[in-house]
Amino acid sequence: MEKQILEIINTVLSNRGKATINEIHSNMKLREDIGFDSLDLAELTVRIEAMFNIDIFEDGNVNTIGEILTKLSKK
Amino acid sequence: MKDLFFANVHTKEEISWNNLIEDILKTTTYSTFAHYSNYYQYFKHLIVSLLIDKPIILFDSDFTEHEINNLIKDSNLRNEIFCFNNFNIKSKNELIHKIVENNYKHWNIVLFTSGTTGLPKMVKHTYRTITRNVRVSEKHMNDIWGFAYNATHMAGIQVFFQALLNGNTMVQLYNLSPNDIKESILKYNITHISATPTFYNLNFSEDSIFYSVKSITTGGERLNEKIISKLKNIFPNAKIYNIYALTEAGSLLNSKDDKFVIYDPEKIKIENNVLYIHRSLLGDFNFCDEWYNTGDIVEIINNNPLTIRFIARDKELINVGGFKVNPYEVEDALKHINGIVDAVVYSKKSSVLGNIVCADVLCNINISEQEIRRELQKVLQEYKIPRIINFVKEIKLNRASKIQRL
Repeated sequence: MEKQILEIINTVLSNRGKATINEIHSNMKLREDIGFDSLDLAELTVRIEAMFNIDIFEDGNVNTIGEILTKLSKK
Repeated sequence: MKDLFFANVHTKEEISWNNLIEDILKTTTYSTFAHYSNYYQYFKHLIVSLLIDKPIILFDSDFTEHEINNLIKDSNLRNEIFCFNNFNIKSKNELIHKIVENNYKHWNIVLFTSGTTGLPKMVKHTYRTITRNVRVSEKHMNDIWGFAYNATHMAGIQVFFQALLNGNTMVQLYNLSPNDIKESILKYNITHISATPTFYNLNFSEDSIFYSVKSITTGGERLNEKIISKLKNIFPNAKIYNIYALTEAGSLLNSKDDKFVIYDPEKIKIENNVLYIHRSLLGDFNFCDEWYNTGDIVEIINNNPLTIRFIARDKELINVGGFKVNPYEVEDALKHINGIVDAVVYSKKSSVLGNIVCADVLCNINISEQEIRRELQKVLQEYKIPRIINFVKEIKLNRASKIQRL
């Protein structure tokens, strides 16, 4: 699952012309560490939903990679 | 060719005016419901309704029984009635004369607007309102129409009456392949075509030139300069007209480009960049206020004379975190990228921003999502750039041959 999330994050980053990353870990912050803005977060959510059929922002904000993985593991 | 009433190269139908008259004279029953898979049947039904002065309700060919039952609750309207036939019509001219001179007491036509959500809205027109924009004159007597609209919709009905009352030939182009459309224009020397910009864009390539066509009318969607330029190349002898029309009112404004002059400010006005029309221009559809909000957003180009350009339909704007995105603006930007033949922009719900912008693109060369984004970044603000770009093999159209925004 982590590998798929990394791929999605890099798709969003490269779509915006931003540098991609090699790895993710649980306490990485989506905004501060990865550099996502609200448009990126919206795209991330839609792409994750398309792949995993779950809206990670549905019941509140998500700030870290760990929170994404937790939401997906509860599915 | 002069006596041909209707033709379809795909079904190989060729029906002369005499065939039509014989067919009408054989008709002995009549139903208010018109629901067919064949255009000629719709046309004949319309003519019979006019001759016997009875109402007609037009249903799209692909409406299901379930949809029809939902749209019209009164099933008695479906019943066939005996129609006593004493028309005594011997020629095309007699037929047209009888239609024009009829003193209509009961005739009206019910159409359904092409809403993309919910049930289509029912709109009723009288003979006077439906034929308000028909031009009958000597110079139109030899026109040959390419019929490129759905026969049951306002735009198609306007073409039908224009052709019928001038005694013209109608050649079906709607729902035909690009090759059949090309063959139809060449075989029948079509002189007039009325269609949506999308119809022209998807069915004609610039390597074909049609010299017989003298008049190109378009409407129903925003026309951009790229399509105007393409039309001028494909139909070098044609005058190009852009029509703004509503099912509720028929044609309201016309222009030779994307700018419209409003000559009658007592019946058409702009308030807060929204176009309103006076109720006297409308058909009958449960509307009580004096002014009807069209939902079309315009920009004022000039105040004297009042000149406008259409920007978008209000309900089509995509709200991305409070920023309004005009899908047409994004589509225009996409279509200007080399290799993109067509594009449709639509919204997708997002729990983060309310909506995000998505696009389906049809390409004729290999082009990557990143390349498309780089090009868009040169001309659009970031929030307008589609976050999801799908490469598709065809752009879906709705029942009015307009782009389907999902």
